[in-house]
Amino acid sequence: MTSASIKLASVTKTFDGKVVAVDDVTLEIGAGEFFSLLGPSGCGKTTSLRMIAGFEHPDAGRIHVGGRDITDLPVHHRDMGMVFQSYALFPHRTVAENVAFGLRMRAVSKPEIERRVAAALAQVALTGFEGRRPSQLSGGQQQRVALARAIVIEPRVLLCDEPLGALDRKLRQQMQFELKELQRRLGVTLVFVTHDQEEALAMSDRIAVMSGGRVEQVGTPTEIYERPRTRFVADFIGEINLLDEGARPRALRPEKIRLVPPAGARLAGTVETANFLGGATLYRVNAGGRTYLAREAHSGERSPRAAGDAVGLAWNDADVVSLES
Amino acid sequence: MISRRRALQAGAGLAAAATFGAPAILHAETRTLKITTWGGKWGAIMKDTILPMFEKEHSCQVSADQAFPFLPKLQASPKNDPLYDVFHSNSNEQWSAVEQGLVMDKITVKEVPNVADVYPWAVSDKIVGVAIFTSAIGLGYRTDKGIAAPKSWKDLADPKLAGARGGYLIPVNSLGQCHLMMLGKVYGKGLQDLDAAYKALEQLKPIKLVDFTGQMEKMLLSGEVIEGVIHDSGVYRYEGANRQPVDFCSPSEGVMALEQVLNVTPGSKVKELAFAYIDFMLRPEVQKLLAEGVWYSPANKKVKLDAKYDAKLLTTPEKVATLIQPDWKWYNARKDDIDARVTKILKG
Amino acid sequence: MSAVANRKPFDAGRAAYLALNLLLLAFLLVPIAIILVFALNPTPYISFPPVGVSLRWFVKFFEGDDFMRALWLSLWIAACVLVLSIVIGGACALALARGNLPGRAFLTAFFMSPLMLPAILTGLALFQAYLLAGIGRPVWGLIMAHTLVAVPYVLRTTLAVLHNFDRRIEEAAAVLGASPARVFFEVTLPLIRPGVFAGGVFAFIVSFDQFPVSLFLVVPKGETLPVVLFNYMKFDLDGAIAAASMVSILLALAVVVVLERLIGLKAYVKL
Repeated sequence: MTSASIKLASVTKTFDGKVVAVDDVTLEIGAGEFFSLLGPSGCGKTTSLRMIAGFEHPDAGRIHVGGRDITDLPVHHRDMGMVFQSYALFPHRTVAENVAFGLRMRAVSKPEIERRVAAALAQVALTGFEGRRPSQLSGGQQQRVALARAIVIEPRVLLCDEPLGALDRKLRQQMQFELKELQRRLGVTLVFVTHDQEEALAMSDRIAVMSGGRVEQVGTPTEIYERPRTRFVADFIGEINLLDEGARPRALRPEKIRLVPPAGARLAGTVETANFLGGATLYRVNAGGRTYLAREAHSGERSPRAAGDAVGLAWNDADVVSLES
Repeated sequence: MISRRRALQAGAGLAAAATFGAPAILHAETRTLKITTWGGKWGAIMKDTILPMFEKEHSCQVSADQAFPFLPKLQASPKNDPLYDVFHSNSNEQWSAVEQGLVMDKITVKEVPNVADVYPWAVSDKIVGVAIFTSAIGLGYRTDKGIAAPKSWKDLADPKLAGARGGYLIPVNSLGQCHLMMLGKVYGKGLQDLDAAYKALEQLKPIKLVDFTGQMEKMLLSGEVIEGVIHDSGVYRYEGANRQPVDFCSPSEGVMALEQVLNVTPGSKVKELAFAYIDFMLRPEVQKLLAEGVWYSPANKKVKLDAKYDAKLLTTPEKVATLIQPDWKWYNARKDDIDARVTKILKG
Repeated sequence: MSAVANRKPFDAGRAAYLALNLLLLAFLLVPIAIILVFALNPTPYISFPPVGVSLRWFVKFFEGDDFMRALWLSLWIAACVLVLSIVIGGACALALARGNLPGRAFLTAFFMSPLMLPAILTGLALFQAYLLAGIGRPVWGLIMAHTLVAVPYVLRTTLAVLHNFDRRIEEAAAVLGASPARVFFEVTLPLIRPGVFAGGVFAFIVSFDQFPVSLFLVVPKGETLPVVLFNYMKFDLDGAIAAASMVSILLALAVVVVLERLIGLKAYVKL
C-alpha cells in the first residue's frame, strides 16, 4: 500500500460567516505517519479532518495530498479511507456488502472484490461475519467493519474521527493497539482526531494540539508532554505545577518533584492529601501558601507518607519548562 | 361540457368568420346540456329511458350531475358560464338560488309551451321556475304495531309513540322544515306561527331524528320508527313484491308540498335546449313514466295514470286542493334563527 | 410436602390496563363489525338481530355499473396519488431537511397546510380555480387535488426518518468513492424508503377514502366511490352501501399488507 503526505497551508474555515472553526492552520504530515489532531471540543480538529476528507471546503488556504493540490477535488475522487465515531455503517447492507462498497464504486471485478473483502475482514479478525447485519454486531465489531471498509480500497490516507470514542475503556485500549498495529502493517498515512490526550500520546508518531481553531504545538508525544510550549498545552496534557505566572510562566510535571526530608529541601511543606493511584501516589503538598502536586512512583514498597506529614520538595532546574504566555 | 376555453375558441371562430365571410362552422360540435338530477330509482329511469330519448330527439348530449351538493357547485361556478343549464332541486333551494341570481324567476308558456297544461301549484307564487312533480308530505306509519291509523298531524304527539316517532334534523332537511311550518298551522295561527310550532315541537320529544328521507324509510321498515313525517312516495314505493307493513296518511289538516322544480340558469349557453328539456319533462308520457316509477304526483293535468297510481297520487283538482305550499322565501329569510332555536329545543 | 406455588395477587392496575385496551379495540372494531352485519343481512335496513346471511348486497355492488366504474376510478386515482405523493413528498422532505433553504420552518408549515385547512374548502377552492382557469374538471385535476392533501402525509413520515438520519452514513459512502447521485440511490433512498412508503400507504388511503375534496371536483359519470356511495345513500339506504364499505376496507387492507410485504414497513420502526 502506498501512502501520501498531507499538507495544509494557511487553511481557514468559518461557519455561518462568523464562527471561525479553523484559523490559518498550517500542518505537514509525513507519508506513513500516525498523526493526531488533539484538543478539546470546538478546537477545530474535526473541521480540519473534514476539510482533508473534502466534506468542508476551506475559505482560504490550500490542501495538498501526495504533493497534489486537492482543495477543489470532490470527496468521491479523493481516494481516502475514513472511520467515524458513529461507525456510519450502511444499516441496510451486510458486513460483506459494507466492506465491498468502495470496491464496487471503483468497478472492481466480482472475484477480486470477494478476495479483497475476505482479506480485509481477516485483517480485522472478522472472518465469518460476512452475512451479518451491522445491527447484529457489538460496537467493537462494528468499528472493525468500518475499519475494514476503509482499508479495503487501499487508501493512501486513512482519516479517523474519534473512532474509539464510543467504546468502553477496556475495549478502547485493545482497539488502540490493533489500530496502531494495522497502521504500521499497512504503512498508510493516518490522521487521527481525538480529545483524549492519553490516546493521542499512546498511539501517535506526532501530535498537533489545537485550541480555538489554531495549532498550539506540533511534536512527538514526548516533546508535547515533556516540553509543552504554551500554557494551554501544558495544562491540557496531564497535570502540571505552574511555578510562577506572568509574562514567562514556568511549569513542572508532578513526577519531576521529589519528596525529601524537610531539612535542606527547596521548599518545606505539609502533605494535604495522598491519593493512591496503583502504580504511584499523587500528593498534594502545601508549601509556602501554595499547593504543589507531586507524583511518586512506587519502587518496592508503598511510600509511608500520609496527610499531615511534614515533607520537603525538591526538583532539578532542567526539568522546569518555560512557557509562552 | 362546454369549457370556457371552448367557448373562447367558438368566439374566436365567430370573429374569424365575420372577418373573412367564410361559412360559419359553429354547429359542428354536438351541443351538451348540463343538468342536475336525482339518483336512486328516479336516476335509473332518467339514465335508461328519458335522457336517451331527449338526446335522440334533440341531437345533443346530456351531462347529468347526480352528485350533491348542486347549489354550492352552481354558486361557485362563474355566472356567465354556469356549471348547469338546468337546475333541478326542491323548491326551497330554488328560492335561495333565485335570490343570488343563479336561476330565472319564472318559467312561462312563452319559453315552455307545456306550462299551459300544469296545475296552478306548479307555477304559483310559491314557486321559482316551474314545478314538474310534487310529493305530499304527511305521516307514514306501521300497520302492524297496534296503533290506529293517524288522521291528524296531532296524532304524532300521541304519548304511546314516545321514542318511536320520527322527524328530521330541521336545519338540513326540507321535510323537517315543512313539518315545523305545519305545526304552526295545526297548533297555532298558521304556517308562520313559529312560537306555536316551537311549543308543539317540544311536545314531540322524545323523537328519532334523521337527515335524509331515505333514512326515515328504513327506520319505518325496520320498525325503529312507528310513525313519522315522510312523503307519500317514500311509502308507496314499497308495494307489490316489496310490500311492507307500512302505509301513508294524508292528515285532515292537509299535506305539505314537496315540489320537484326545474329552472334555467341565466348564463346558460344553450338556453333553447334547456327550455326544450323542461318542456320535454312536462310532456304527459314522460310525466307518466316518472310518476309511476317513483310515485310522484305529476304537474301536468293531462297525465292519465294507471288506476293504482291514480288512486293514491294527487291527480284531480279536489285532491290537489289538499296541497299546502310553504313560503320558502319567508322561511329562508328566518332560517338561521329557526335553526338555532330548533337545535336548542331538540338537543335536550 | 411439596412447596406451595405462589399465587399471584390480583393486580387491579393490570386488569384496568387490559380492560382499557379491550375497550379501545372494541371502539375501533365494533363499527366494522356492524357494517359487516349490515352487509350480510338480506333486509334493506339495519335490523338486529340479523335475519339471515346473504350476499345479495355484494352482488348488487359488484353488478352495479356505477359502483364498478367508481371503484376502478377510485383505485386508479389512488394509485396515481400514491406515486405522485411519494415523488413530490419525498423530494420536498429531502429539500426541507437537506436543502439549507431559507425560511425552512415556514416552508414546512406551508406544505403541511393542506392538513390544517378543512378539506371541503380545499375542494371548493380548487373547483373555482379550475373553472376560472378554464380547464374544467379533468381526472388529472382530481388527482392533483388528492395529491395536494396526500403529500403532507409522505412529507411527515419522510421528515421523521430524515430527522433521525445519520448523515455520516452518506459521508462514508462519498468518501468511499460514491458520486452524489450514487450516494442518493445506494444509501439515502434505501434508508428513507420505509418512511416514504409508510407515507405512501397513508396517501393511498387518503385518496381512496377521499370525500370532501372530491365532492366539488368530480364530473357526471366520473364520480369516485365515496361520492357515489354518499349520493346513493340519499336515495337508497340499503346493504349495498355496507357491502361497498366492506370491499373498500378490504382493499385498503390489501394495499397495506402488500406494501408491507414488498417494502417491509416494519423496518421503519427499527430505523
